[in-house]
Amino acid sequence: MIRGFLDAHGYDPGPSQRPLLAGAISGILATVPAIGVLIYFGSLKIEAHILGMSSVATLALGWAAMAVAGAAYARFFGRAANALKGGWLFGMSFSFAVWAAGAVLILPILSHGQAPAGEAASGIAASMIVWGFAVGVLVPFVHKPLHESIESASKNADVGPDAAARKNGPVRERQQEAKR
Amino acid sequence: MLRVVALPKAVAAGVAGAAVIEGVTLAAAKAGLPTIDLVSQLSAAEFHHMPALAVVAAFIAHFAIGICWAVFYAFFFWGRFHLRPALQGLLFAILPATLAILVVYPELALMRSAADVVRLDIGSFFAPLNAATIGSLLVSHALFGLTIGMIYRRPTGYSVDSRPAPPAPRRRSTKGRQRREAAAGFMFATGIECSYPTIENGTWRRDEMKSTSHYEMWQKDFELAREIGITHIRYGPPLHLIFDGPGRYDWSYSDPQMEELREYGPEPIIDLCHFGAPSWLGNFQNPDIGAALEEYAGAFADRYPWVRFYTPVNEMYVCARMSALDGLWNEQLRDEGAYARAAWNLANASIRMSDAILKRRDDAVFINSESSEFYQPCCPDERVQQIAEESNERRFLPLDLIFAHPLSKRMHDLLCQQGVSADDISRLCGREVPRRSILGVDYYEWNERLIDRAGNARALGELFGWYVIADQYWHRYRRPMMHTETNKMDADGAPRWLWRQWHNVQLLAKAGVPLVGFTWYSLTDQIDWSIAMSEAIGLVYPVGLFDLNREARIVGLAYKHLIDLYRDQPDYRQCSALAEILR
Repeated sequence: MIRGFLDAHGYDPGPSQRPLLAGAISGILATVPAIGVLIYFGSLKIEAHILGMSSVATLALGWAAMAVAGAAYARFFGRAANALKGGWLFGMSFSFAVWAAGAVLILPILSHGQAPAGEAASGIAASMIVWGFAVGVLVPFVHKPLHESIESASKNADVGPDAAARKNGPVRERQQEAKR
Repeated sequence: MLRVVALPKAVAAGVAGAAVIEGVTLAAAKAGLPTIDLVSQLSAAEFHHMPALAVVAAFIAHFAIGICWAVFYAFFFWGRFHLRPALQGLLFAILPATLAILVVYPELALMRSAADVVRLDIGSFFAPLNAATIGSLLVSHALFGLTIGMIYRRPTGYSVDSRPAPPAPRRRSTKGRQRREAAAGFMFATGIECSYPTIENGTWRRDEMKSTSHYEMWQKDFELAREIGITHIRYGPPLHLIFDGPGRYDWSYSDPQMEELREYGPEPIIDLCHFGAPSWLGNFQNPDIGAALEEYAGAFADRYPWVRFYTPVNEMYVCARMSALDGLWNEQLRDEGAYARAAWNLANASIRMSDAILKRRDDAVFINSESSEFYQPCCPDERVQQIAEESNERRFLPLDLIFAHPLSKRMHDLLCQQGVSADDISRLCGREVPRRSILGVDYYEWNERLIDRAGNARALGELFGWYVIADQYWHRYRRPMMHTETNKMDADGAPRWLWRQWHNVQLLAKAGVPLVGFTWYSLTDQIDWSIAMSEAIGLVYPVGLFDLNREARIVGLAYKHLIDLYRDQPDYRQCSALAEILR
C-alpha cells in the first residue's frame, strides 16, 4: 500500500538515479557528527558495554548499520530525499523512527533487557537526531554527482519506442518481469 | 516532493503550537491541575547542574520539536482530509501524542535516571505513565494540533493585493547554450506551467510559476529544456504581475527570461493570457477585457519585437468553463449565460490581440491552443443525446469565433441573449483569419467524456484517442495543427502515454493533416492540478519531464529519446507544413 502511495505521487526514482548508493554514502558521512555527540555524552562506552563489544567494534557495527539505514532512507523517501528544503526534516523523522525502533526497542532485546539510561540515553537520542538531520541534508548533494547523465539514461531501452506497448505499472516491476 | 510547503507558515505554526502548550501548562499548574511541563521534563533530563541554561535549552528544544512536527504536518498531512483546518490539525495530533505516550515520555523518565544502564521490561518502561500523565499529554497535544491547524493554511498562492519577488537576475554563464531549433523544423515542444486564475471569490491568486519555483529557477529550467533537445517552449509571462493598469507595465517579471530565450532558446511560443486577468480588470465577465488585452499584446510586441510565435489566449473554452460554468476560478459562476459571455470576451480579446501583434509584426504566427473535448451519449435517451450535443456545441464556441466558423443556432441565440449583437457575431464570423494561424489541440485522458443516464459527464479515458478527436477539429477548421499539450498523472506510465500520443501524431500527419509540432506539458511537475487549482493545498502533480527538484523523470528521458530518434529524419528536420506557414 505504501509503495502504491509513493508511486502514485511519482516518487519512483527512475533509471537515472542511484538512491541506495547515495543513501549509503550519506549514512556513513552523517555518522561523523553523530559519533561526536555519542562521545560527548559518554554514550559510546555504555553502548559498547551493553553489547559486550569494544568501542571500536561498536563504532564499526554502527557505521555498517547507518550505511544500511541511509540507503533505506534514500530509497523509501525516493525523490523527496532529493529536496534541499525538506531533506533535513525527512532525515530527522526517519532517524526518530530508527531511534524508537532500534535504541528503545531492539537494543534492550539484544542485550537481555539492558538499556542505556541517564545521560547515555540522552546522548543516543541526540546522536540519532543529529545523524538524521545530517543524512537528510547530505543526500541531495551526494546524490547529484552520482546520477547517470540524461544523455546516457535516455538511451535506455525502457524509455524507447517499445514503451508504447508496455502495460502500465512501476518501472522496476517491469524490469523484474523482464529478468524473469 | 509530496507537497509544496510554505516553510515560514509552518515554522510559525510550530512555534505557536509549542507556546500554546507552555502557556496552558503554566496556567493549569497555577490552578493546581495535574499537568506535564515538557520544558521541566527536558531540563531535568539534561543540564540539571546548570538550572538557568537547562530551562533555556529546554525551551529551545521544545520549540524546535514543535517546528519539526508542524513541518511534518505540512509535508505529509495537511489537506489530506476534507475537514476544517483546525480539525485537520487535531486529527494529526494523534500521531505526536501517541509517540509521546508510548516512546518519548517513558524515555525521558529513563534519561532522568542517575544510572548509566538499567534493566528494563515492558512493565518498568511504562511505569512512569498513569491516567493523569496520559490525560495531560493528550490535552496538550490536542491544543498543539488545533493551533497548527488554524495557522497552517493556503501554502500556495498569495493575496491578490500582494506581489511575489521578481524573478532571479540572469546569471552570466549558463550550461547548454545551444539552440536546438532548425529554421522550419518540426516543433518538439514543452511548456512552463504558468496558470494564474484567482480563487476564493477573487481574493486569492494561484500562480503556478511561483508554486513551482520557476521565478527562482527559470534559468535552470531553460537549460534543462535545451539539454533534452526541446526546440520550442510554450511560455506565459505573468500577465497579472506585468500589466499594472492602462499604460503601466512592470517588465521586471519577464525581461530576464526573455533576454535568455532570445539569445539561447528554446524558441518561445508566448502565451499572453493563461486562465487569469490582472486584479484591476476583474474577471472574464468584464466586456472591457478585450480592449485592455489588445493594449497589452501591443505593448508586449513592442517590448520584444523578436518574438514570432504567440498564443494570445490559452484554452479559451477551459477558461470560460472553469470560470463561469464550473464555478472554480475567477468570477466563479455556474451559469450558461455567464459561460457565453466569458467565451465571447475571451475570443474577442484573442482576435484583438492578434490584430495588435500583426500591426507590429506582420509575419507573426498564432498557435491557438484549445482543449480537445468530446462528449459521447451513453444511450439513445433523448435527454442524454441533447446534453451531449449541447456540450459538443459549447466546446466549439470560442474556436468557432476566432476561426470564423458559422455558429450553431443554439450558441448564436445564447450569445444574443447575453447582449451580443447579431452584427458583432457576423463581424467576427465574417473576418479573414490570419494566414499564419495554427490550431493547437491539447489532449488528456479525461478529455473524452461519456454523458451518463443521469446526464453527468464522466471521463472515458482514451477511448477514441487524439487521432479521432483531433480529426474532428481538422474537418471543422481546416487549419494547420499542433499537439499543444499532453501529460499523464502516473509518472511511471507516462512514457507509454508519450509514445502513444506520438503515434497518434504520426498517423494524423500520414492522413494528410498538416502537423507542425508536438508538446509534452509541462517541463516540471505542476501544483494542485489534480484538483484543478480550486483550493490552495500544494499537492504535487507529477506530470513533468522533471520533478520540482529539477531531477529528470522517466518521461523526460523518454522525450529526449524520442527527439533524438526523429529530429534529423527528413520529414522532421524540414517540416513542410511549418515551412508553408512561415513563408
